Amino acid sequence: MSTAWSFYLSTVMVYLGVNVMACLGLNLQYGFTGILNFSFIVYQAAGAYTAAVLTLGPHTAAMSFQRYIGGWSLPFPIPILAGGAVGGALAAAVGWIALRRLRGDYQAMVFLVVSLIATSVATNDVGLFNGSAGLSVIPKPLSGVVGMSLVGYQWFYVGITAIFCLLVYIVVRRITSSPLSRSLRAVRDHEQAAAALGKNVAALRMVSFVVGGVIAGISGAVLVGFISAWSPGAWLYPETFVFFTALIVGGTARNAGAALGALLVPVIFLESTRFLPQFGPPGLIDALQWVAIGLMALVFLWFWPRGVLPERRRIIALPTLRKESEREGAQA
Amino acid sequence: MFLQTVGFGIVTASILALAAVGFTVQFSVTNILNLAYGDVMTASAFVAYVSATAGLNPWIGMITGGIFGSLFSYLLNRFVYTPFIRRGSKLFVMIIVTISMSLILQNVMQIIWGPNFFTVPIPAGSSVRFLGMIFTTSQIVIIAVAVAAMLGLHSLLTFTKLGKAMRATATDPELARNCGIRTKRITDLAWLLSGLLCGLGGVALVIDLGSFQSTTGGEFLVPIIAAAILGGVGQPYGAMLGALVIGMATEMAALVINPEYKEVVAFGLLIVMLLIRPQGLLAEVASQKEVAA
Amino acid sequence: MTSTVAGAQPALLEVRDLRKSYGGVHAVAGVSFYARRGAITGLIGPNGAGKSTALGMIAGAIRPSSGSILLNGVDIAGQPSYQVARKRVARTFQQSSDFAGMTVLENLLTARFGQRGDSLWGALAGRRFWASAERELIAKATDLLARFDMTKMANELAGTLSGGQRRLLEIMRALMTDPELLLLDEPMAGVNPALGARIEDYLLDLQAGGLSMLMVEHEMAVVERLCDPVIVMAQGEVLAEGTMAQIRADQRVLDAYLVG
Repeated sequence: MSTAWSFYLSTVMVYLGVNVMACLGLNLQYGFTGILNFSFIVYQAAGAYTAAVLTLGPHTAAMSFQRYIGGWSLPFPIPILAGGAVGGALAAAVGWIALRRLRGDYQAMVFLVVSLIATSVATNDVGLFNGSAGLSVIPKPLSGVVGMSLVGYQWFYVGITAIFCLLVYIVVRRITSSPLSRSLRAVRDHEQAAAALGKNVAALRMVSFVVGGVIAGISGAVLVGFISAWSPGAWLYPETFVFFTALIVGGTARNAGAALGALLVPVIFLESTRFLPQFGPPGLIDALQWVAIGLMALVFLWFWPRGVLPERRRIIALPTLRKESEREGAQA
Repeated sequence: MFLQTVGFGIVTASILALAAVGFTVQFSVTNILNLAYGDVMTASAFVAYVSATAGLNPWIGMITGGIFGSLFSYLLNRFVYTPFIRRGSKLFVMIIVTISMSLILQNVMQIIWGPNFFTVPIPAGSSVRFLGMIFTTSQIVIIAVAVAAMLGLHSLLTFTKLGKAMRATATDPELARNCGIRTKRITDLAWLLSGLLCGLGGVALVIDLGSFQSTTGGEFLVPIIAAAILGGVGQPYGAMLGALVIGMATEMAALVINPEYKEVVAFGLLIVMLLIRPQGLLAEVASQKEVAA
Repeated sequence: MTSTVAGAQPALLEVRDLRKSYGGVHAVAGVSFYARRGAITGLIGPNGAGKSTALGMIAGAIRPSSGSILLNGVDIAGQPSYQVARKRVARTFQQSSDFAGMTVLENLLTARFGQRGDSLWGALAGRRFWASAERELIAKATDLLARFDMTKMANELAGTLSGGQRRLLEIMRALMTDPELLLLDEPMAGVNPALGARIEDYLLDLQAGGLSMLMVEHEMAVVERLCDPVIVMAQGEVLAEGTMAQIRADQRVLDAYLVG
């Protein structure tokens, strides 16, 4: 394998890992709990900014070309974990406002507005994260310690991404295979009936929302450590829609579906356009891509609303029955 | 300075009233949360732009924009939303369908017109002084259109059978159907009517802003949603009140804090509202529809 | 009306002057009644009488405008649904309310509140932490499925069941919570006569087992066979109360139905 290919492949692998994490998180919220979180990208951005300003050195001399809060030069893996914590805390704050008392469609509206506003604040408040120019030259985790070649570090980072991806998968998997998953799906399928069975609907939504927020934050923190830059342009509200399309294509309420969607939509589909010859005025290819993403979601919702890997029927074996009840069952 | 800000507030409130009332009528009567609403506004503005640059009187352009918004909303429902509902898409899937349409519309406009800014050519008329506030001709026209539209809507909802049927459908579609109301026709009319307000709102917005691009309407969704929720979604009068509050508050904020924070202030008001009174300022219908669970 | 049953023990459920109005319209305009322990209390009345609204308020799904709802002497009026449910009041809905994306068995297992794995920490602790509790639940659900002749449907998606089977599922699901009081909102609606007869038998069987019920029902024959006492509501108020025979003799009731 040539160095260029090795470099490219490792880059794609990191993107894949980040997108798998994000899709698993959103799937927990949307697929399992039925929350239309149109602000998902905001928690990813929060994680990325947090990790960035904790990794960056003090805002002086060498860094005086950009303004930001923090600048504590914290070592790996603290910035990534902090990114997750901030993503979760932000989700808790937004969830506290939107999830407690509002009906689902109103929640969707509020989330969309949150996403637009967050972009506006990060863009206008230059002192926070350097405004619309965003942060750059963010140090790569452990890059000074491991002392590898450029390509070597790329693969090292694939390893870091894989570890976080695995951790996220284990957490999500434990939730989605537990009795808690049934309660979440009950909230999704029939909110009032769930409440009538003693389920605290608002609290259950909150759990799913905050765990999703933590995962989003971690994914953002892992991503920013790799690309070393982050600006409002990277997380405009349509980006959340890429994840939704990924879930719709891959299959909602199924972890394998979320992972497949992450591979198909943000990685294979969006990466493949990189190889197209440039044509038309600037922005044309981007716009065409967005139209294609929108159409993809519509086409799947029309023809395959359950996605490539539909939600599984979870079969649970019954314990051996007493003879008489079996006979009764056969008569019915 | 303060009075002039009040003047700006009135203009913003007028635009917002057109847009937010259309949004809330659409949502409450048709039961579809149409997140492509802002992009239909932009599309209507482009239609007004095209017709005005083609030599038509710009104010006629506003009317063409309104008619376009009306027809386009109707067709959007007829050929996209209704088929999905017939196919059994649930409410929250429908929201994803509308946001897909938003993305498609916005980017199709970007493909056609590029990332450039456009201006609807409006001849600079004389300005009018009124109670210490100065209004340009176009601002006067915007206010007049908004007031006329609100009065028209009010008469429609209160005095006509059609308006009453519309209100009944919004409150309880099943009951309305049982009472012999042809809800399908009412829904079609609601799309036409709300689309008209959407189109007019879009043209008014870009005339007031001076210049616009393919994302302008989509970004305006923040104050629209804020005004609609503030008024209690589904209540045209609430939305009018909400528009006035948000319009004034954002212009005051622009004066006192920073124009960049207009939207943030609208958002802040929305949050406060959600925390203390999620059912909206005028709450009756809202409680019947179980807005707040 | 007496506020307590003879003896010192408070009534299982007592509703006092319960009201609900929507913007000036009184859906329930001050009703008082009680449900005896061990009885199947019927709640009947013409359309729009406010029966379902009253039931919804008792279940916590609808917030009363005023009045009190005493459960074992403790006022629960205005408490949210989930808290009422945790006080062992279960309910069924008029329209089917199954969790369509889950199997019948999962629907039943979901019903149990407070399973060890039904919290974030419990879930994160892993299968070993909650497996034994899960086994007990499955055993309980298995018994219930057998009792309602639904064993064969255990692993079918609830969304694919027939209307009648959904009714059964809903009753079973409510029973999984070990209720003290079961609120039934038209359990026979849309059920074929054969299954209806089966449901009646089940309900009588549950009553014999000590379960108290409050039931809104349109089918008079069913009410006659199952319910004693029967409470008649019309236009948001209680019109009459007594055995079905007494009710039949009541002229006011007849008038109300003719008007309604």
